[in-house]
Amino acid sequence: MWAFYNGRTQARGKREGREAKSHGGYSKKKLNPMAHRLLVRRIWTLSVKDLRCLPASLSSFSTSLRSSTTPLSLLSPKRTLPRSLPHTSRREVSFNVQDHEDFTERVINSELPVLIDFHAQWCGPCKILGPRLEKAVAKQKGKVHMAKVDIDDHTDLAIEYGVSAVPTVIAMRGGDVIDQFVGIKDDEALDSFVSKLVGQ
Amino acid sequence: MSNLGHTCWLCLLWSHYQHCPIEIEWHGIWFVTGTFDYDLVVIGGGSGGLACSKEAAQLGQKVAVLDYVEPSVKGTKWGIGGTCVNVGCIPKKLMHQAALLGTALKDAQKYGWQIPGPISHDWSTMAEAVQNHVRSLNWGHRVQLQDKEVKYLNVKGSLLDEHTVKGLTRTGKETMLTAKNIVIATGGRPKYPTHIPGAVEHGITSDDIFWLKESPGKTLVVGASYVALECAGFLTGIGLETTVMVRSIPLRGFDQQMAGLVTDYMEAYGTKFSWRSVPKSVDKLSSGVLQVTWTDEQTGKDQRDTFDSVLWAVGRAPETKTLGLEKVGVKLNKESGKILVAADESTSVPNIYAFGDIGEGRPELTPTAIKAGKLLARRLAGRTNELMNYDNVATTVFTPLEYGCVGLSEEEAESRHGKDSIEVYHAFYKPLEFTVAERDASQCYIKVVCKRGGDQRILGLHFTGPNAGEVTQGFAMGFQCGATLTHLKETVGIHPTCAEELTKVNVSKRSGLDATVTGC
Repeated sequence: MWAFYNGRTQARGKREGREAKSHGGYSKKKLNPMAHRLLVRRIWTLSVKDLRCLPASLSSFSTSLRSSTTPLSLLSPKRTLPRSLPHTSRREVSFNVQDHEDFTERVINSELPVLIDFHAQWCGPCKILGPRLEKAVAKQKGKVHMAKVDIDDHTDLAIEYGVSAVPTVIAMRGGDVIDQFVGIKDDEALDSFVSKLVGQ
Repeated sequence: MSNLGHTCWLCLLWSHYQHCPIEIEWHGIWFVTGTFDYDLVVIGGGSGGLACSKEAAQLGQKVAVLDYVEPSVKGTKWGIGGTCVNVGCIPKKLMHQAALLGTALKDAQKYGWQIPGPISHDWSTMAEAVQNHVRSLNWGHRVQLQDKEVKYLNVKGSLLDEHTVKGLTRTGKETMLTAKNIVIATGGRPKYPTHIPGAVEHGITSDDIFWLKESPGKTLVVGASYVALECAGFLTGIGLETTVMVRSIPLRGFDQQMAGLVTDYMEAYGTKFSWRSVPKSVDKLSSGVLQVTWTDEQTGKDQRDTFDSVLWAVGRAPETKTLGLEKVGVKLNKESGKILVAADESTSVPNIYAFGDIGEGRPELTPTAIKAGKLLARRLAGRTNELMNYDNVATTVFTPLEYGCVGLSEEEAESRHGKDSIEVYHAFYKPLEFTVAERDASQCYIKVVCKRGGDQRILGLHFTGPNAGEVTQGFAMGFQCGATLTHLKETVGIHPTCAEELTKVNVSKRSGLDATVTGC
């Protein structure tokens, strides 16, 4: 029914200050969303960089102790940030976006490239594409993350990124939209889409 | 109005606003500059509001639509789209279809289908599917508004003056919008019989029934409007024990002979009817079931029974209370509470318009609201002078035996033209599909009310039978073109259908002859 896609992803920074609260439940007055995001990203990147050294060294340590039963081997091989980090809980490769702050933090400001899967409960094709995406992302062994956005819960976010039909998958790196597609793709096409995102 | 307001120093006029800093600055702007934030602000994002706002935007106007759903007493709320999409036509028709499929499954066995075991219905599966479809429509509307560049605000709108709308978010944040024209299309909500003890605490309405996650179980439907009968109809159809409590007559405003056929079918179909009954109280027992006490008006005695759910379908009230209409001077009909409107949907305030369910004397239907909204938008943009034609509107009641009609009821035709000036042709027919299924077709009936003599112009057309909506739609066009009985008789029927029986009517009520259609 909603088969057309209007290619509005580049327009995400151009919305004027919005006070509306969608029934999704969050509201943020974004007078200049692009600038706001860049600023937050800079601050975040600075704070993350300090802590990044920690897991990197720990994870390399953990791989060398893979077979041991020391506590260090309990570290996830996915190079997750330690639990003591205030803003994020255990960083998973594939996660459901909770709110706008979560999206900013884990998607826009992600060091890694992120696939954003815009889906809906009522969307049949989404249920087919979902597992395929998970598979393609898992193959990359942590080089790419996947953020799942339920468009009924996060309608404003979906509208902001120009989503009209679902499923819509957006490939994002450094807060910029690199690529996107609408509808279902088979495993091969998905692998190539994800590899392209990771490769460059 | 309480503190008499204060002076707006920008425009040096008295202002009635209570919140000083914001209003002063902002009120001044529109007056001083003469410009408005929007060409059009529509309050209400239902069938009418959305159609109007989208049409206006397409014509180049700067439009904003404000939609807000006050949760029902039970806490049910929904997305954009209004009553039709969320708690009306759409979920109703889907649940009606679910019920029809149940009947079809029973018929199927006669047609040779081997269906093992007894058939049962799972409410949750149906509800989830219906609710998911509604959510997809909510989304679709959001996308359309985005595409047509209509500003959408999920806020509760109210009028501050003839050019200013205040929007309130769920958390109490305020927004102000100024507009050259304001359109009110806030529709209505189901009424609760607040004078009945326990009614509000324990009962639900059509706002809730479609969003229930669990089956309503044994249900009492109070009311005899099409909402009551349609709900009772599909509840019975999916296997729930259902009772309809009627105070006086069913389907008030519709042709009463047809209304009787509809309820006769429902009774034969399994719905219980409690005629001439008025509920007295609703109590919740310790087991959780609801005990309803009512008065049987015929005997004067009180009766009592228990139900899992009580659905109030006793009328709808217009959503005008929080609009601030009195302050701005928009006049309402004292009895109905609806907004008084002229033929061009204008209200008593020059640049404020109202249409849809909120308009006094208007049909409470989606298609009329949509059309009226589009025409209003075109008129406001100066593209046309065409007014909405509210006559000859066809409609259908989606009860287990559907009833479609266009034009006047027999009673209305009699009262307008006189019994001697009308001729009523009728026929009892049997849908072919009912034969093998061994279904009773006693209430499948057609009635064509015509002017007597002359060209015998058709004044009203009535049909009970399967797919009544589909059957009636085509005939409605003929009606709109001024069809006469001759036109009808000159039309060759499509065979074998139920609709063709309309083209074959020839027995008049006056003749007293048997109107049962025999085989072809």
